[in-house]
Amino acid sequence: MECCGPGYSSPSEAIKAPREKLLYTIAIYTGTGIQKPDYLATVDIDPHSEKYSQVIHRLEMPGIGDELHHMGWNACSSCFDDGSMSRKYLLLPGVRSNNIHIVDTATNPRAPSLHKVISGADIKSKTNLSGPHTVHCLGSEIIISMLGDAKGEAPGGYLHLNKDFEIEGRWENSMGDIKFGYDFWYQPRHNIMVSSEWAAPNTFMPGFDLEEVGHLKYGREIHFWDFEKKEPIETMYLGEDGLLPLEVKFHHDPDSSHGFCGAALSSNVIHWWKDNAGKWQWEKIIDVANEPHPEWPLPVPGVMSAILISMDDKYLYLNNWLHGDMRQYDISDPHNPILTGQVWMGGLLGKAPIVNGVKMAGGPQMFQLSLDGKRLYVTTSLFSTWDNQFYPEIREQGGVMVMIDCDPINGGMSLNEDFIVDFGKEPNGPSRCHEARYPGGDCTSDIWL
Amino acid sequence: MRTITIANRDGETFEVNSKRPILETLRDQGVDLPFGCKYGGCITCAAKLISGKVDQNRQVALNNRQINDGYIILCVARPLTDITIEIGVESHGNLYRNPFLDPLKPHELKADIATPKEV
Repeated sequence: MECCGPGYSSPSEAIKAPREKLLYTIAIYTGTGIQKPDYLATVDIDPHSEKYSQVIHRLEMPGIGDELHHMGWNACSSCFDDGSMSRKYLLLPGVRSNNIHIVDTATNPRAPSLHKVISGADIKSKTNLSGPHTVHCLGSEIIISMLGDAKGEAPGGYLHLNKDFEIEGRWENSMGDIKFGYDFWYQPRHNIMVSSEWAAPNTFMPGFDLEEVGHLKYGREIHFWDFEKKEPIETMYLGEDGLLPLEVKFHHDPDSSHGFCGAALSSNVIHWWKDNAGKWQWEKIIDVANEPHPEWPLPVPGVMSAILISMDDKYLYLNNWLHGDMRQYDISDPHNPILTGQVWMGGLLGKAPIVNGVKMAGGPQMFQLSLDGKRLYVTTSLFSTWDNQFYPEIREQGGVMVMIDCDPINGGMSLNEDFIVDFGKEPNGPSRCHEARYPGGDCTSDIWL
Repeated sequence: MRTITIANRDGETFEVNSKRPILETLRDQGVDLPFGCKYGGCITCAAKLISGKVDQNRQVALNNRQINDGYIILCVARPLTDITIEIGVESHGNLYRNPFLDPLKPHELKADIATPKEV
């Protein structure tokens, strides 16, 4: 299909895109003791380049203390048929400062520049929201999940920006009985959006008090929304199987009703789908068992903080941040996943303390897969305060980005020995890398209408 | 006015307006301090109180153990007396704790869910 807007006509067209050559990842100094702004790093991932596997540019934010975290595009394949739109701007919210940075990546993709900052104070005064997290474009509009109100109390809501990055107000018409916010994904052909739950910013920002889970200060529900009416219609109570339900992803196939959620503390994957009667159902399909630790009185949970679906919808990738492994599951039958690959890197169990010559602090945390499903880029920092609790040595050692080679035909994954980016050696001192994105769209950015 | 002494900056002293948050008054006088949310909801700006008293009623980030260990949230805390503090991550020794290795007792939780200490 010939067209002129951003992205690809379908997931199968996206898979055929040219290989990625640049990758953007945010890197933080917030909470590290280094008094420098967080920044957007450009990493050269072209194996034919002399700078392969190196940071080639750093775009500093205007001030300190943002805690950059997730990011999203101004436009994606959801406006593929809109010739007036292009994928030019990457939005970088600061979880702590509430500022949203709009970065121009198109004028010079190797050296992005700051286009505009939406001030956190302005967002608070106009919408009573704080704690920006997930960014999705929605045709030519942008919505961002905000985890708290202006005082950091749950549940927050959704910030609506127009294509010129002006604050339109709140996106949702109602939050219903939703207690917390975190991630969301929508599947327009089913008129459905699914949202998940972390906690109030005042609860998770200072660090993780395990006892607060029992006091119901962390989430254990996912929510189904009437996407057009912008209001929640059904809640799935996941209970002990779904403690801290964080990332939610639908199949990329816009006709599919199947989707998945990684419950971080329970370390389970929850699968949902619409049955033949049109009713939404859920089940637990993956359960990562807690592991004994030689020095801990309690067994260690995996802490599955992220999940990702390959563009062909065949594989689900997940991390266990405390155990230290990345896993690949064949989800061709989404009710019966099959473990097809596993790689160890860092973690608390001591299975891979050194990777490609770099001593690891942290475990696999966020990851981005190439559109063709062959290369998985993995970073190690979760959130500054939580890093400081579980991996205090990350202050001196910084974060790391590694690459895992994946076999999209037969399954399987192996650590690539030629690639590693050591953020412990950054010019201003050890920083920590988190989410990663490619200029042309990736496996967690695009939605098809 | 109150006097703030920064113990881990060679005991340097600053005269500050006691009605304004300590983060603001020290930064105005050129002290380089970490911060994040600026409303008392995250502990990026935490410092350790060595002596004196502050009013930090607006903070919602610290649990009672952190408060008992002397931590204060500079973006909302105001000095009630002359105070001595330690600043920056060098003061964060007890601030971060592995929650699986070192659980909180019921009276050590955040104020809204803590129960009184059993005697």
